[in-house]
Amino acid sequence: MRPDAWSRPVLPRVLIADCGGDPIRLPPALRAGILLRDIDVGAVVRRAASSEGVMAIDLDSVRGMASDEEAAEFVMDTLGIGVVFTRRSHVAEHVARRGGLGLLHALAFDSTGLTRALDGSAAVAGRGTVVSPGAVLPHMRPSELEQLARPIVAYGLLTRVADALDCLELVECVVLRQDVADALADTARNSTLPVRNLLTTVAAEE
Amino acid sequence: MRATGEFLARLERSRCCAAIVSDEQLDLALASRTPIVFVLRGNGLALGPCIRRIHDAGKLAAVHLDLVNGVRADPRGVEWLAQLGADAIISSHGRLMPVIRNEGAVAILRLLLSRRTHLDTAFTAVSRAGPDIIEVLPGVILPSLATIMPDFGVPLLAGGFVRTEADAEDVLAAGAAGITTSAPNLWGMYAA
Repeated sequence: MRPDAWSRPVLPRVLIADCGGDPIRLPPALRAGILLRDIDVGAVVRRAASSEGVMAIDLDSVRGMASDEEAAEFVMDTLGIGVVFTRRSHVAEHVARRGGLGLLHALAFDSTGLTRALDGSAAVAGRGTVVSPGAVLPHMRPSELEQLARPIVAYGLLTRVADALDCLELVECVVLRQDVADALADTARNSTLPVRNLLTTVAAEE
Repeated sequence: MRATGEFLARLERSRCCAAIVSDEQLDLALASRTPIVFVLRGNGLALGPCIRRIHDAGKLAAVHLDLVNGVRADPRGVEWLAQLGADAIISSHGRLMPVIRNEGAVAILRLLLSRRTHLDTAFTAVSRAGPDIIEVLPGVILPSLATIMPDFGVPLLAGGFVRTEADAEDVLAAGAAGITTSAPNLWGMYAA
């Protein structure tokens, strides 16, 4: 399943969260991929074998899998998953050095905690940032956004289409549940050109 | 119960409270109209003088057990902070809520929300812990959660990224009883 040679994955604008339940439906109106999270390691292997398109994984949330460099190598080399969310900066950098996209997961409950979460994370090509909860991103100062390595993913508590669109104006990618992604796709089909542009704009690679 | 009543009565005087991480911020908070000072940093073993200054200024002191240094988040740590005079003790550890209450302080459970699944499990966790008050973080997103937030049956504080008057007004309109913020421009605002 491993690509012969990694070319750095490009994030889709939307990742739909897959927790191992009903299979995810990728709405044609969205440029979407799948994020595997809160899922058993066996289900990860099955999903990776059967899915098409860009796939990402929240390494810290997989039951039965460690969140270390060996696990990252397994998901990249054996399963062909090139986008890895991790709370460990050295794992994110390891993924980036191997040609994948390593996304350091920062918990942003308040500004002090966000600063601490990002402290000491080196700027490395292929390393970006996941901000949880994503809904907080529109409330950050421009100077705080500038501190975050890009690409940036908004992850968590995006429960409304309006919240997702607000984030997409600021960052490269949002993680949504299937119901919110479907609603966003409906909005894209029925709305004005700017919204469609927001959903199809190619995210910055680095 | 009396402690909680007094705490909420103070909050009604001004619903935006100071959250401080430094001595400089303590000075500013003491000079402001904030009725309660939330202490988020410092040496928990040596907070006595800080708490006395807060009391001398006619304010209440709420100490974050999980964030101050030197004190373990366990029953003895709670006992220590209560002996120093903390009027309220904040923790993410639900099991400590009854201990805090037994010490005569207001028990504030810090609820960190990053995923919707946290909301799904929070109700049971809160019911089991029995806090007097819940602090939700990041509080600034409270308005967007209004339709999916369970009714916890206790007052809510909102903390985290609340920096502007517009943020504060939205959060209070979404049902928060009060706000904790490090933004001095908001301290002491919004009498109920």
